[in-house]
Amino acid sequence: MNQPSTTSGTSVAPLHERRVMEFPYKHSTGSTIGRFLAGLKEQKVIWGQRASGQGVVVPPVGYSEVDGSDAGEWVAVKDTGVVSAAAVVHHPIEGLHPSSTPFAFVLVRLDGADTAMAHFVTENLDRLKVGARVQAVWAPDDQRTGTIRDITCFRIIA
Amino acid sequence: MNEPPKEGIKYIDSKVYLPYDYIAGDFKVRYLNALKDKRILGSKCSKTGKVFVPPLVNSPESFAPCNEFVDVADRGVVTTFCIVNIPVIGRNLEIPYVAASVALDGADISIFALIQECKAEDAHMGMRVEAVWKPDGERQGDHEDILYFRPTGEPDAPQASYINRL
Repeated sequence: MNQPSTTSGTSVAPLHERRVMEFPYKHSTGSTIGRFLAGLKEQKVIWGQRASGQGVVVPPVGYSEVDGSDAGEWVAVKDTGVVSAAAVVHHPIEGLHPSSTPFAFVLVRLDGADTAMAHFVTENLDRLKVGARVQAVWAPDDQRTGTIRDITCFRIIA
Repeated sequence: MNEPPKEGIKYIDSKVYLPYDYIAGDFKVRYLNALKDKRILGSKCSKTGKVFVPPLVNSPESFAPCNEFVDVADRGVVTTFCIVNIPVIGRNLEIPYVAASVALDGADISIFALIQECKAEDAHMGMRVEAVWKPDGERQGDHEDILYFRPTGEPDAPQASYINRL
Protein backbone atom coordinates (compact mmCIF):
# COMPACT_ATOMS: atom_id res chain seq x y z
CA MET A 1 0.00 0.00 0.00
CA ASN A 2 1.29 3.43 -0.90
CA GLN A 3 2.38 5.93 1.68
CA PRO A 4 -0.19 8.53 2.64
CA SER A 5 0.37 11.77 0.75
CA THR A 6 -0.64 15.28 1.63
CA THR A 7 -3.13 17.18 -0.45
CA SER A 8 -1.03 20.32 -0.65
CA GLY A 9 1.45 21.02 -3.43
CA THR A 10 0.93 20.50 -7.13
CA SER A 11 -2.65 20.04 -8.18
CA VAL A 12 -3.81 17.81 -10.99
CA ALA A 13 -5.42 19.18 -14.13
CA PRO A 14 -9.20 18.73 -14.27
CA LEU A 15 -10.83 16.18 -16.54
CA HIS A 16 -13.86 16.83 -18.67
CA GLU A 17 -16.44 14.42 -19.91
CA ARG A 18 -19.65 14.92 -21.84
CA ARG A 19 -22.47 12.59 -20.87
CA VAL A 20 -25.78 12.62 -22.68
CA MET A 21 -28.94 11.34 -21.08
CA GLU A 22 -31.74 10.44 -23.43
CA PHE A 23 -35.27 9.44 -22.61
CA PRO A 24 -37.09 8.12 -25.69
CA TYR A 25 -40.72 8.81 -24.84
CA LYS A 26 -43.69 7.78 -26.98
CA HIS A 27 -46.75 9.82 -26.11
CA SER A 28 -50.27 8.68 -26.84
CA THR A 29 -52.00 11.66 -28.41
CA GLY A 30 -55.62 10.85 -27.66
CA SER A 31 -58.48 11.20 -30.12
CA THR A 32 -58.69 15.00 -30.19
CA ILE A 33 -55.01 15.97 -30.54
CA GLY A 34 -54.58 12.94 -32.81
CA ARG A 35 -57.02 14.43 -35.30
CA PHE A 36 -55.53 17.93 -34.88
CA LEU A 37 -52.11 16.48 -35.82
CA ALA A 38 -53.57 14.52 -38.73
CA GLY A 39 -55.00 17.82 -39.99
CA LEU A 40 -51.52 19.37 -39.97
CA LYS A 41 -50.00 16.43 -41.78
CA GLU A 42 -52.64 15.57 -44.35
CA GLN A 43 -54.56 18.79 -44.90
CA LYS A 44 -52.05 21.48 -43.94
CA VAL A 45 -54.84 22.97 -41.89
CA ILE A 46 -54.83 24.11 -38.26
CA TRP A 47 -58.02 22.95 -36.58
CA GLY A 48 -59.68 24.14 -33.41
CA GLN A 49 -62.86 23.22 -31.64
CA ARG A 50 -65.64 25.31 -30.21
CA ALA A 51 -65.92 24.88 -26.46
CA SER A 52 -68.51 26.31 -24.08
CA GLY A 53 -67.45 29.69 -22.69
CA GLN A 54 -64.12 29.64 -24.53
CA GLY A 55 -64.85 30.24 -28.19
CA VAL A 56 -62.52 28.43 -30.62
CA VAL A 57 -59.79 26.55 -28.78
CA VAL A 58 -56.50 25.87 -30.62
CA PRO A 59 -55.05 23.36 -30.16
CA PRO A 60 -58.27 21.65 -29.09
CA VAL A 61 -58.51 19.55 -25.95
CA GLY A 62 -61.93 17.98 -26.60
CA TYR A 63 -63.84 19.65 -23.79
CA SER A 64 -64.57 23.03 -22.27
CA GLU A 65 -62.11 24.08 -19.62
CA VAL A 66 -64.84 26.36 -18.26
CA ASP A 67 -67.61 23.88 -17.54
CA GLY A 68 -66.23 20.49 -18.58
CA SER A 69 -68.78 19.93 -21.33
CA ASP A 70 -67.79 18.15 -24.54
CA ALA A 71 -66.28 20.35 -27.23
CA GLY A 72 -68.46 21.20 -30.22
CA GLU A 73 -67.74 21.51 -33.92
CA TRP A 74 -64.32 21.60 -35.51
CA VAL A 75 -63.30 24.98 -36.93
CA ALA A 76 -60.42 25.59 -39.34
CA VAL A 77 -58.44 28.65 -38.31
CA LYS A 78 -55.91 30.60 -40.37
CA ASP A 79 -52.19 29.98 -40.25
CA THR A 80 -51.63 33.66 -39.47
CA GLY A 81 -52.04 35.27 -36.09
CA VAL A 82 -50.77 37.61 -33.45
CA VAL A 83 -48.09 37.06 -30.80
CA SER A 84 -49.52 37.35 -27.28
CA ALA A 85 -46.35 36.44 -25.36
CA ALA A 86 -42.69 35.80 -26.19
CA ALA A 87 -39.57 34.56 -24.41
CA VAL A 88 -36.22 34.73 -26.20
CA VAL A 89 -33.71 31.92 -25.69
CA HIS A 90 -30.27 33.39 -26.36
CA HIS A 91 -28.28 30.24 -25.67
CA PRO A 92 -30.16 27.22 -27.01
CA ILE A 93 -29.20 23.76 -25.78
CA GLU A 94 -28.32 21.35 -28.54
CA GLY A 95 -30.91 18.66 -29.07
CA LEU A 96 -33.18 20.00 -26.36
CA HIS A 97 -34.41 23.22 -27.92
CA PRO A 98 -36.08 23.44 -31.32
CA SER A 99 -33.37 25.64 -32.83
CA SER A 100 -29.57 25.73 -32.68
CA THR A 101 -29.51 29.51 -33.05
CA PRO A 102 -31.20 32.07 -30.78
CA PHE A 103 -34.96 31.80 -31.03
CA ALA A 104 -38.08 32.76 -29.12
CA PHE A 105 -40.86 30.70 -27.65
CA VAL A 106 -44.11 32.45 -28.50
CA LEU A 107 -47.80 32.17 -27.86
CA VAL A 108 -49.72 32.82 -31.06
CA ARG A 109 -53.43 33.58 -31.20
CA LEU A 110 -54.26 32.46 -34.71
CA ASP A 111 -56.83 34.38 -36.77
CA GLY A 112 -60.16 32.73 -36.05
CA ALA A 113 -59.02 31.33 -32.69
CA ASP A 114 -59.78 32.58 -29.19
CA THR A 115 -56.87 30.90 -27.41
CA ALA A 116 -53.13 31.06 -28.00
CA MET A 117 -50.93 28.20 -29.14
CA ALA A 118 -47.29 27.70 -28.14
CA HIS A 119 -44.69 27.62 -30.92
CA PHE A 120 -41.49 29.43 -31.77
CA VAL A 121 -39.92 32.10 -33.97
CA THR A 122 -36.36 31.71 -35.25
CA GLU A 123 -35.77 34.80 -37.39
CA ASN A 124 -35.96 38.59 -37.11
CA LEU A 125 -36.11 38.43 -33.33
CA ASP A 126 -35.39 42.18 -33.23
CA ARG A 127 -38.85 42.71 -34.69
CA LEU A 128 -40.53 40.34 -32.26
CA LYS A 129 -42.94 41.91 -29.80
CA VAL A 130 -46.31 41.26 -28.28
CA GLY A 131 -48.73 42.20 -31.03
CA ALA A 132 -46.43 41.18 -33.88
CA ARG A 133 -48.18 39.47 -36.78
CA VAL A 134 -46.82 36.03 -37.64
CA GLN A 135 -47.49 33.26 -40.12
CA ALA A 136 -46.85 29.53 -39.90
CA VAL A 137 -43.99 28.13 -42.01
CA TRP A 138 -45.05 24.66 -43.12
CA ALA A 139 -42.79 21.66 -43.60
CA PRO A 140 -42.87 20.33 -47.20
CA ASP A 141 -45.58 17.79 -48.06
CA ASP A 142 -43.22 14.82 -47.93
CA GLN A 143 -41.75 15.84 -44.59
CA ARG A 144 -44.87 16.29 -42.47
CA THR A 145 -45.19 13.42 -40.02
CA GLY A 146 -48.09 14.43 -37.81
CA THR A 147 -46.42 16.43 -35.08
CA ILE A 148 -46.54 20.09 -34.06
CA ARG A 149 -43.22 20.39 -35.92
CA ASP A 150 -45.14 20.01 -39.19
CA ILE A 151 -45.24 23.75 -38.64
CA THR A 152 -41.50 24.39 -38.90
CA CYS A 153 -41.75 27.72 -37.09
CA PHE A 154 -43.60 31.01 -37.27
CA ARG A 155 -42.21 33.95 -39.20
CA ILE A 156 -42.88 37.60 -38.54
CA ILE A 157 -44.94 39.24 -41.28
CA ALA A 158 -45.69 42.60 -39.63
CA MET B 1 -63.31 20.46 -45.73
CA ASN B 2 -65.20 20.85 -42.48
CA GLU B 3 -63.29 18.61 -40.12
CA PRO B 4 -59.88 17.04 -39.67
CA PRO B 5 -59.19 13.46 -40.84
CA LYS B 6 -61.25 10.88 -38.93
CA GLU B 7 -58.19 8.77 -38.40
CA GLY B 8 -55.93 10.65 -36.03
CA ILE B 9 -52.23 10.40 -35.33
CA LYS B 10 -51.98 7.91 -32.48
CA TYR B 11 -48.51 8.52 -31.09
CA ILE B 12 -45.75 11.07 -31.19
CA ASP B 13 -42.12 10.32 -30.42
CA SER B 14 -40.56 12.80 -28.11
CA LYS B 15 -36.97 12.31 -27.09
CA VAL B 16 -35.76 14.09 -23.99
CA TYR B 17 -32.10 14.91 -24.62
CA LEU B 18 -29.99 16.14 -21.72
CA PRO B 19 -26.32 16.83 -22.46
CA TYR B 20 -24.21 17.17 -19.32
CA ASP B 21 -20.63 18.37 -19.04
CA TYR B 22 -18.94 16.77 -16.07
CA ILE B 23 -15.75 18.26 -14.72
CA ALA B 24 -13.62 16.18 -12.38
CA GLY B 25 -11.49 18.48 -10.23
CA ASP B 26 -8.15 17.90 -8.55
CA PHE B 27 -9.25 15.32 -5.95
CA LYS B 28 -11.58 13.42 -8.27
CA VAL B 29 -8.93 13.18 -10.98
CA ARG B 30 -6.44 11.70 -8.51
CA TYR B 31 -9.09 9.21 -7.43
CA LEU B 32 -9.85 8.18 -11.02
CA ASN B 33 -6.18 7.93 -12.00
CA ALA B 34 -5.49 5.75 -8.95
CA LEU B 35 -8.10 3.23 -10.15
CA LYS B 36 -5.79 2.42 -13.07
CA ASP B 37 -3.33 1.07 -10.48
CA LYS B 38 -6.05 -0.86 -8.62
CA ARG B 39 -5.89 1.71 -5.83
CA ILE B 40 -8.91 3.32 -4.21
CA LEU B 41 -8.10 6.75 -2.87
CA GLY B 42 -9.79 8.50 0.03
CA SER B 43 -9.14 11.72 1.90
CA LYS B 44 -8.84 12.14 5.65
CA CYS B 45 -10.52 14.91 7.64
CA SER B 46 -7.93 16.99 9.48
CA LYS B 47 -10.26 17.39 12.45
CA THR B 48 -12.11 14.10 12.92
CA GLY B 49 -9.81 11.71 11.03
CA LYS B 50 -12.75 10.33 9.07
CA VAL B 51 -11.89 8.99 5.64
CA PHE B 52 -14.09 9.85 2.67
CA VAL B 53 -14.23 7.87 -0.57
CA PRO B 54 -14.15 9.25 -3.22
CA PRO B 55 -11.90 11.89 -1.64
CA LEU B 56 -13.59 15.13 -0.58
CA VAL B 57 -11.86 18.49 -0.25
CA ASN B 58 -13.66 19.27 2.99
CA SER B 59 -15.58 17.13 5.43
CA PRO B 60 -19.32 17.70 5.00
CA GLU B 61 -19.62 16.92 8.72
CA SER B 62 -16.93 19.07 10.38
CA PHE B 63 -16.30 21.40 7.40
CA ALA B 64 -12.58 21.00 8.15
CA PRO B 65 -10.24 20.45 5.19
CA CYS B 66 -9.19 16.93 4.29
CA ASN B 67 -5.45 17.40 3.94
CA GLU B 68 -4.24 13.85 3.50
CA PHE B 69 -4.85 11.23 0.83
CA VAL B 70 -5.07 7.65 2.03
CA ASP B 71 -5.50 4.35 0.25
CA VAL B 72 -8.47 2.29 1.35
CA ALA B 73 -8.92 -1.42 0.69
CA ASP B 74 -10.70 -2.81 -2.36
CA ARG B 75 -12.84 -4.89 -0.04
CA GLY B 76 -15.38 -4.08 2.60
CA VAL B 77 -18.82 -4.74 4.01
CA VAL B 78 -22.34 -4.38 2.61
CA THR B 79 -24.02 -1.76 4.78
CA THR B 80 -27.30 -1.60 2.94
CA PHE B 81 -28.58 -2.95 -0.36
CA CYS B 82 -31.51 -3.28 -2.69
CA ILE B 83 -32.57 -6.03 -5.06
CA VAL B 84 -33.23 -4.74 -8.56
CA ASN B 85 -36.07 -6.49 -10.37
CA ILE B 86 -36.61 -4.01 -13.19
CA PRO B 87 -34.24 -4.05 -16.17
CA VAL B 88 -32.49 -0.75 -16.83
CA ILE B 89 -32.07 0.29 -20.46
CA GLY B 90 -28.39 0.38 -21.31
CA ARG B 91 -27.41 -1.93 -18.47
CA ASN B 92 -27.34 -5.52 -19.62
CA LEU B 93 -27.56 -7.37 -16.30
CA GLU B 94 -29.52 -10.46 -15.46
CA ILE B 95 -32.28 -9.62 -13.00
CA PRO B 96 -32.74 -9.83 -10.11
CA TYR B 97 -29.38 -8.38 -9.10
CA VAL B 98 -28.07 -6.64 -6.01
CA ALA B 99 -27.05 -2.98 -5.75
CA ALA B 100 -25.41 -2.17 -2.45
CA SER B 101 -23.69 0.43 -0.36
CA VAL B 102 -20.26 -0.91 0.51
CA ALA B 103 -18.11 0.49 3.32
CA LEU B 104 -14.55 -0.24 2.21
CA ASP B 105 -12.06 -1.19 4.89
CA GLY B 106 -10.43 2.04 6.01
CA ALA B 107 -13.30 4.27 4.82
CA ASP B 108 -15.91 5.96 7.00
CA ILE B 109 -18.60 6.24 4.35
CA SER B 110 -19.96 3.79 1.78
CA ILE B 111 -19.67 3.76 -1.95
CA PHE B 112 -22.42 2.54 -4.24
CA ALA B 113 -21.61 -0.78 -5.86
CA LEU B 114 -22.96 -3.54 -8.05
CA ILE B 115 -22.80 -6.98 -6.45
CA GLN B 116 -22.43 -10.05 -8.67
CA GLU B 117 -21.66 -13.75 -8.13
CA CYS B 118 -24.28 -13.54 -5.41
CA LYS B 119 -27.88 -14.73 -5.47
CA ALA B 120 -30.28 -11.91 -4.67
CA GLU B 121 -31.74 -13.82 -1.75
CA ASP B 122 -28.26 -14.29 -0.24
CA ALA B 123 -27.51 -10.56 -0.01
CA HIS B 124 -27.50 -9.22 3.53
CA MET B 125 -26.14 -6.43 5.70
CA GLY B 126 -22.71 -7.21 7.07
CA MET B 127 -21.76 -9.41 4.10
CA ARG B 128 -18.04 -9.13 3.23
CA VAL B 129 -17.34 -8.29 -0.43
CA GLU B 130 -14.30 -7.60 -2.61
CA ALA B 131 -13.77 -5.68 -5.84
CA VAL B 132 -13.36 -7.50 -9.14
CA TRP B 133 -11.17 -5.31 -11.32
CA LYS B 134 -10.79 -5.07 -15.03
CA PRO B 135 -7.61 -6.85 -16.17
CA ASP B 136 -4.30 -4.98 -16.24
CA GLY B 137 -3.92 -2.84 -19.34
CA GLU B 138 -7.70 -2.40 -19.73
CA ARG B 139 -8.31 0.02 -16.86
CA GLN B 140 -9.05 3.52 -18.07
CA GLY B 141 -9.28 5.50 -14.87
CA ASP B 142 -13.06 5.50 -14.60
CA HIS B 143 -15.70 3.83 -12.47
CA GLU B 144 -15.97 0.92 -14.89
CA ASP B 145 -12.46 -0.14 -13.79
CA ILE B 146 -14.18 -1.95 -10.93
CA LEU B 147 -16.48 -4.38 -12.72
CA TYR B 148 -18.41 -5.30 -9.59
CA PHE B 149 -18.03 -6.56 -6.04
CA ARG B 150 -18.50 -10.19 -5.03
CA PRO B 151 -18.86 -11.99 -1.68
CA THR B 152 -15.54 -13.05 -0.15
CA GLY B 153 -16.97 -15.86 1.98
CA GLU B 154 -15.46 -14.32 5.11
CA PRO B 155 -17.60 -14.28 8.27
CA ASP B 156 -20.09 -11.39 8.45
CA ALA B 157 -18.88 -8.12 9.97
CA PRO B 158 -20.54 -7.24 13.29
CA GLN B 159 -23.18 -4.54 12.94
CA ALA B 160 -21.36 -2.14 15.26
CA SER B 161 -18.42 -2.09 12.82
CA TYR B 162 -20.42 -0.56 9.98
CA ILE B 163 -23.60 0.94 11.38
CA ASN B 164 -22.06 4.45 11.39
CA ARG B 165 -20.52 4.07 7.95
CA LEU B 166 -23.63 3.89 5.82
